[in-house]
Amino acid sequence: MEVKILSAKFDIENSHKLEVAKEHGAYATLEKLFAMEPADVIEEVKKSGLRGRGGAGFPAGVKWSFLPKDTGKPVYLAVNSDESEPATFKDRYILVRDPHMLIEGIIICCYAIGCHDTYIYIRGEYTSQVRILQQAIDEAYEAGYLGDTVAGRDFKLEVTVHRGAGAYVCGEETALLESIEGKKGQPRSKPPFPAVVGLYDCPTIINNVQSIASLPFIIDQGAEAYTAYGTEKSAGTHLFGISGHVEKPGMYELPLGLPVLDVLDKVAGGVWKGRKLKGVIPGGSSTPVLTAEEAKTATLDYESMAEHGTMFGSGGIVVLDDTVDIVALVKNLIDFYHHESCGQCTPCREGLGWMLKITKKILAGGGSSEDIDLLLELCDNIEMKTVCVLSAACTMPVRSYLNKFRHEFEAYVEKGASLQAAGIQG
Amino acid sequence: MSDRSQLIETGKPFKFDAERDAEFERLVKRYPTRESMILPALWLTQEQEGWVSAEAIAYIADRIGTYAAKVFEAATFYTMYHLKPMGQYHICVCRTLSCWLREKQNIIDFLAEEIGVRPGEISDDGRFSLEEVECLGHCGTAPVVQVNGEFHEEMNVEKMKTLLAGLE
Amino acid sequence: MAEMIKLFVNGEEVEVESGKNLIDAVGAVGIEIPHFCYHPALGADGNCRMCLVGIEDGRPPLVPACKTPAAEGMKVQLDTDKIKKIQRDMMEFELINHPIDCPVCDQAGECTLQDYYMTYDGVSSRMNVEQVKKAKKLDFGGGVVHDQERCVLCGRCVRFCRQITKTGELGIVNRTDSARVDIFPGRPLNNRYALNVVDLCPVGAMTSADFRFKQRVWFLKKDEGICHGCSKGCNIFIDHNREKYKDDTIYRFRPRHNDQVNGYFICDEGRLSHKKENEGRLLESLKNGKPYNLTESYVLAQKAITNAENVLILVSPNLPLEQLVATQVFAQKIGASLSGYSDGYIVKGDGDDFLIQDDKAANRKGLELLGINTGGDFFWDSLEKAECFICIDNELPAVDTKRLIKALRETKVIALSSHHFNLVDQAFVAIPVASFSEYGGSIINCDGVLQSFQAAVVKNTPIADVTEVLRRLGGPLSSAPEVLAAIHRVEGPLAKVDFNRIPAEGLKL
Repeated sequence: MEVKILSAKFDIENSHKLEVAKEHGAYATLEKLFAMEPADVIEEVKKSGLRGRGGAGFPAGVKWSFLPKDTGKPVYLAVNSDESEPATFKDRYILVRDPHMLIEGIIICCYAIGCHDTYIYIRGEYTSQVRILQQAIDEAYEAGYLGDTVAGRDFKLEVTVHRGAGAYVCGEETALLESIEGKKGQPRSKPPFPAVVGLYDCPTIINNVQSIASLPFIIDQGAEAYTAYGTEKSAGTHLFGISGHVEKPGMYELPLGLPVLDVLDKVAGGVWKGRKLKGVIPGGSSTPVLTAEEAKTATLDYESMAEHGTMFGSGGIVVLDDTVDIVALVKNLIDFYHHESCGQCTPCREGLGWMLKITKKILAGGGSSEDIDLLLELCDNIEMKTVCVLSAACTMPVRSYLNKFRHEFEAYVEKGASLQAAGIQG
Repeated sequence: MSDRSQLIETGKPFKFDAERDAEFERLVKRYPTRESMILPALWLTQEQEGWVSAEAIAYIADRIGTYAAKVFEAATFYTMYHLKPMGQYHICVCRTLSCWLREKQNIIDFLAEEIGVRPGEISDDGRFSLEEVECLGHCGTAPVVQVNGEFHEEMNVEKMKTLLAGLE
Repeated sequence: MAEMIKLFVNGEEVEVESGKNLIDAVGAVGIEIPHFCYHPALGADGNCRMCLVGIEDGRPPLVPACKTPAAEGMKVQLDTDKIKKIQRDMMEFELINHPIDCPVCDQAGECTLQDYYMTYDGVSSRMNVEQVKKAKKLDFGGGVVHDQERCVLCGRCVRFCRQITKTGELGIVNRTDSARVDIFPGRPLNNRYALNVVDLCPVGAMTSADFRFKQRVWFLKKDEGICHGCSKGCNIFIDHNREKYKDDTIYRFRPRHNDQVNGYFICDEGRLSHKKENEGRLLESLKNGKPYNLTESYVLAQKAITNAENVLILVSPNLPLEQLVATQVFAQKIGASLSGYSDGYIVKGDGDDFLIQDDKAANRKGLELLGINTGGDFFWDSLEKAECFICIDNELPAVDTKRLIKALRETKVIALSSHHFNLVDQAFVAIPVASFSEYGGSIINCDGVLQSFQAAVVKNTPIADVTEVLRRLGGPLSSAPEVLAAIHRVEGPLAKVDFNRIPAEGLKL
């Protein structure tokens, strides 16, 4: 099932070094790139159907075409390498194992959109990763792939790494811009959209690492070679991160559209310890959970996930075995989103803390049936009332657990203990 | 998040050493506004001192030419900035979803037993500090532990024991 | 005149100004969209989410009104069940961690949380877990005391210090529900407008050390006035109260919105100048510094004036046009010289590019338009010749004291004074006059804006204003129409002013 497009160089020793990467084709597309018109590059990317791989899945080429023309202001590219959504760890592989693919992608994108200053926003926790990335950038500068004359062409490009410092919300594109500007990572109200008013009030494109890293393949092989993978509406491949209760967790590059259970069994070695499947989180912790039953018919693409009432998200698949205490899991999730709430909007700031305390109360055996209803109502009251979707990233999955596993919450209310501990059959 | 606004004063003035000074001047040219240096400057401070004091925040604000309150905001918003001295070995254990599912709690319990610190604490001898942190992006190799920034994947109590034994 | 557009609110067509956000646009026609964080002087932030409104057929269908420009044909929904529920939900989130300590909170009675609770919420609390605890009564400097638990984190105070004063003392530190407003330790509020954050705060989080616990606001009578602290003439509310068995007392000044003069703000010095209306007042007549019967004082003063060959009258540049013209007419009648010398009211370099002016005189422009001589030479020459010197409420700040003492050695001084100024004790006769909160009048600010104001405070024993005192001393003007007629006789822009129809925002001359 696995394919090797983005991950082609991942298993090569020292692939992060320019010399090795070049031997395996890095920067080979630049010749072709500079022979193309920028507009044609955008067109090719549009044709490839490449969708933003950060989680929202917005078509990358379309996003680029939102840039206003001739504003007299510089255009910025911000590469989102904040990768903080729980269960998401794909971009890290690119940063560490093929950073030159990312740099090459940056050159392609910047050439297409007329940008000469790129900031790579990398989460602060990625310590060794930032070192490797910076080394690769330094090498690229030295070799003339970055700087005043990219690959000897009359094209200037500066790439600066900006480190975050422990804030999930900075993965939200406007919070990321705020953070580069030296502020707290608090998302901006939209409109205006960053393509119009972005970094330093200038037109800005923000793309995820994987989206940018997909560009060399698309330009080199052409859009059709890319769309040969995946489904009609969900083209290409994706770096899926599979974690949780499987025998072989890890990062796997797969075409879009494969059946979820096939992937779990054939790629990730099945549910660990011979246990039964309870549920699957399909695309990072913010996506609503699929029950084992629902997972049977789901495939790993944007459309199937939407049909199943959830989202493709970041492709971070989490497998839950039948021993998982859903109430404890929900507490773990709310704890995360509450901890990461930027504190700006009232409902998210106050509401997530309230939800956390109610969940703790239920876990401690002090909850009531009304508390479960209140949690459900609070999901509605908070969701989509805020500047960004961080709170929705909490309420959407939490609602799914409350609805699909309500009996586990009821067990705590009635028996003061988990379903498993209380010996009730689920 | 607990309150991080109680800054600690060292009673001594802070300034960058020659290396950080040069790095600051190199980086500041990469941005169109000096305020963009708030996060990098806090990182430089932490590299130099291990943590960020009230004096350091004031220094950064004055050096950049911005309000101390703005640097104060950033220092308290971004949780990786240590606003008090940490242990010689700062151990971060990921507490989020995949690491939780793969039993990170065993490691926390072991550390409490072995080195006598709970999350948020520093050992009496100052050797260890322990922090439970949110998702570290190593879910496929969970549970994951960071010691002074270095990642240790697929951890368990046995491996944690070996890791501790290998520390000076 | 802004372009008018038509839109619909709850199905009703309304005509509003274009170019405004929905809050201001429909607010101007009397429809309230509740909000905490938006303030017209600070712009839209969008954090409180209280102003979420529905837009029928809109994409998106739910928008923050503060960030949404009014547009032709827009169908705004405020009264749908969905919007009402959102408003109730936002109030619930604002209140779950609020201490609800209204009985001891200074803001009670003028608190947005209280008002909105009554209008948009009204349901019982469902909060049944522990609240977030934060710090109380933090001294932020500048006379501002902060309560982090009452705060709704709208950030108005933070934006004020960044956008308006550009001093940036405040920040919101931490994130999550641990977020709180704070100063950086050792760098407290240090700007001359700091107390505006108390007015800007929609709740009781920012309180004024000066006003804290002094009065319940519903007892205060809130009258409109003009600050006399400098030549800007900022519009204020004079909040005063006559407690049982006590006198009518001013407890605070607050800024009153006037785009032509001061916008939404006033300076701290002006704000705290309310104390001057209560303190250091001359409340009884004096003879040679000792209390003396008022009627007898008038007799003594009149005698002194009559007996003098040369009389000099010095007026305060704070006096309104009406009192100045009454003095002018009085001076003409008795053949006295009239000076408006007040160079000492100008404190060079004290002003800024916002509201505070170098010139601390409230009506210098008025003096000039009435043609009253403000020159120093004229004043000193006249003073040295004068046998009688009538000083009308002029503090003579920064005056050459030695020269003054020398010049006054043989002179009978009559002080008509609102306060116990220096000259009062040296005066042969001193007669109290009303201060600006106790009379009405018109003054012209540094930008040539003529503003009228009414008396706010009525003391238990009312003190006569300058016009009245001069009438008792034999002045010819005895009624307001006579005074206005006298002003109209002055050549120049004042001749045509209809003093009964001065617009609320003042009349730019």
